[in-house]
Amino acid sequence: MNVILSIAKTTIGEAIRRRVLLIILLIGVLFLVIAPGLSVLSARSSYTVLVSFTLGVIQLTSAVIAIVLTVYLLPNEVERRTIYTILSKPVYRWQFLLGKYLGAVGALGLMMALMTGILVLVFKIMQAEAGMDVVMTLARAPMMYFVQMSLLAAVAMFFSTFASPIVNFFLTGGVYLVGTLFSPVFQDIAGNNSVNAMVKTAATVIHTLVPNFAQFNVQNTIINSGSQLRSEQMYYLQMVAYAIAYVAVFLIGGMMIFDRKEV
Amino acid sequence: MKLKRAPMFAVMALCLVVQGAIARINYPVWEKNYSPRIGSDLRGLSGDQLLIALAGFREMVAGILWVRADTYFDEGNYDAILPVIRLVTMLDPKQIDVYATGMWHIAYNFTDEQNRSDRRYIPSALALGEEGARNNSYTYELFFETGWLWYHKIDDDYDNAVKWWEQANEVKDMQAARKNILAMALLRDGKLMEAAEHYQSLLDKAEVEFNKNPTEYQNRQNRDTIESNLDNTLVRMAQRGNFALLGGYYDEWNYDTKPPYDVGFSAQVVVEDSRVLRVEGTWNVQPVGTRVRITLRDADNPNGVPAGMKWDRSDTVDLDPEKDVTFMQDALFVKNQSFYRRIDMSRDPVMYPFTTDKYYVEFYYNPRSGPPHIQDRFGFNGEGMTDSNFLNTEIRNGQRVVYCRLELTRDQLLRTGEWSTKTPVVKTKNFVPTGARTADDIIDVPGMRSDTGN
Repeated sequence: MNVILSIAKTTIGEAIRRRVLLIILLIGVLFLVIAPGLSVLSARSSYTVLVSFTLGVIQLTSAVIAIVLTVYLLPNEVERRTIYTILSKPVYRWQFLLGKYLGAVGALGLMMALMTGILVLVFKIMQAEAGMDVVMTLARAPMMYFVQMSLLAAVAMFFSTFASPIVNFFLTGGVYLVGTLFSPVFQDIAGNNSVNAMVKTAATVIHTLVPNFAQFNVQNTIINSGSQLRSEQMYYLQMVAYAIAYVAVFLIGGMMIFDRKEV
Repeated sequence: MKLKRAPMFAVMALCLVVQGAIARINYPVWEKNYSPRIGSDLRGLSGDQLLIALAGFREMVAGILWVRADTYFDEGNYDAILPVIRLVTMLDPKQIDVYATGMWHIAYNFTDEQNRSDRRYIPSALALGEEGARNNSYTYELFFETGWLWYHKIDDDYDNAVKWWEQANEVKDMQAARKNILAMALLRDGKLMEAAEHYQSLLDKAEVEFNKNPTEYQNRQNRDTIESNLDNTLVRMAQRGNFALLGGYYDEWNYDTKPPYDVGFSAQVVVEDSRVLRVEGTWNVQPVGTRVRITLRDADNPNGVPAGMKWDRSDTVDLDPEKDVTFMQDALFVKNQSFYRRIDMSRDPVMYPFTTDKYYVEFYYNPRSGPPHIQDRFGFNGEGMTDSNFLNTEIRNGQRVVYCRLELTRDQLLRTGEWSTKTPVVKTKNFVPTGARTADDIIDVPGMRSDTGN
């Protein structure tokens, strides 16, 4: 366990020193700060725009950070040959991979916490009369985004065991897009009785195999006061369990490939 | 040490099964579910959808979003549809269906627990229709839909329905069968001769089409329908004395609308509990089919008009209704010459915020929106109707309507202050209790030889 934690700690240190990630983070923060001025883009009221836009920025920025951060973790170690030094010590390959993943998730968590802090600050300035309960409600979406991004990082980690960073970037991005944009479409097709049986089966298979990232998007309940979760705890618990199961799938798959890979 | 493949595969497969099972757990998610189909998830508009939209796939994203909106609609998650509608119409202003469905959805589907529409959304629905018609002026559809909103939902100010349907008629692709409806709007707008002339002009065109191809069933049906409508209109105008009114000899003959019949309106409103009204009263008309409109609105709202609002006051689509405005509208169904209704607004505090101090409860009856068998007696403009207390010829230009206004305070409606222990009762001076009744009262249907005089 100590080995895994040491690798994770080192990974976090490396991640927060990487300029490209800091630049992405800076862009995200910038968007959060200028968010109040963008309410003109929508027909809804300023509160709705502020919440939906800032949550959207956090989600997008986090997704880019999660992908960029993770796709380079293993290839960089191989390229710089530091992996040989580590693996020559009593460290199993699966421990190395797990440590790297946990480090990536830790770094991601830190960056998302920073963005959430800024979101709360912007919100408190713009909606001075809002109480702590409103702010806490607002902070729930980034928590679910964090779970979502941890799953995305696991996907990227899995692909990084056999794909180059560029290929991995597009593969992971593609899975994320399919899981977010198209998952609901596949689900609709899978549940539609009037659709051809073969198409329906294909849609069901895709819907089951591709992680449904859209399920973590809880912003609707926060943006629209009319729609509320009947049992928040149950839903969040379900989503966390879903993510853990999927992360396990990708990490085990990655470990098995990485275990037999020539480095 | 290499990992053993078999157990690892087994764990991986188990995790896959677990995630699949978790994804299929279906428990009631939404607190406010209007749909009979329970079970939903939480997929919403997200930043990446916007990103793709900005990257140049506007129509594709608009299409995907519309599919999402459809799912939201099935799930009863109506609030989530609003931003989707707006986004789709912004991304692809040529999506006529989205405009048409969107304005219908906004105007009709936000309801309280007793299925009364939240009419504060109507100005936005009209603005969306106007925007859609502006962006798609090559087709009649959005002119037609906007006119329909005036004719059917607002059911008042029929000159607006006429205006929109006249524009729809000018567009080339307007369906022949739909052109009839302009005449109906003209009738409700009191423009009787124009309605008859419109029918006549449609009939002339239908005759030409029919003569070109007499074996085509559609041509025959269209011609016959228009002819029948024109006949009905002319007969009704004659029997109700409208030709006589136009010719200035109404007083010389007897018509179905003579003498004006006293409807004997009276009403009482009891605030039974906080935001709960019990409304009852009399309407001395034996045939079933009368619906008396009741509204409750802020007394000081500058957009308020008697028994209504200035519906076309908004030029922009603002999907958030005015949260501090209270406006309730319902229809009181008359049977056995009386009406009774319990109006419960207590379960919808967002729709009925009651933020101001004074409120008007208004009763309104306009024969123009009544069924033909009532209009036969009351006339198109209320010539055959009177009421010794509440006949009004001022609030609707050129029309004789029944209008009565009672007042309630916020304390009375919320049963606070001095009214926390007393039951507020407001009533017309002529109100006489009609006895206990329930919604299950048996309807006395008058016979053909009924001597009630109406």
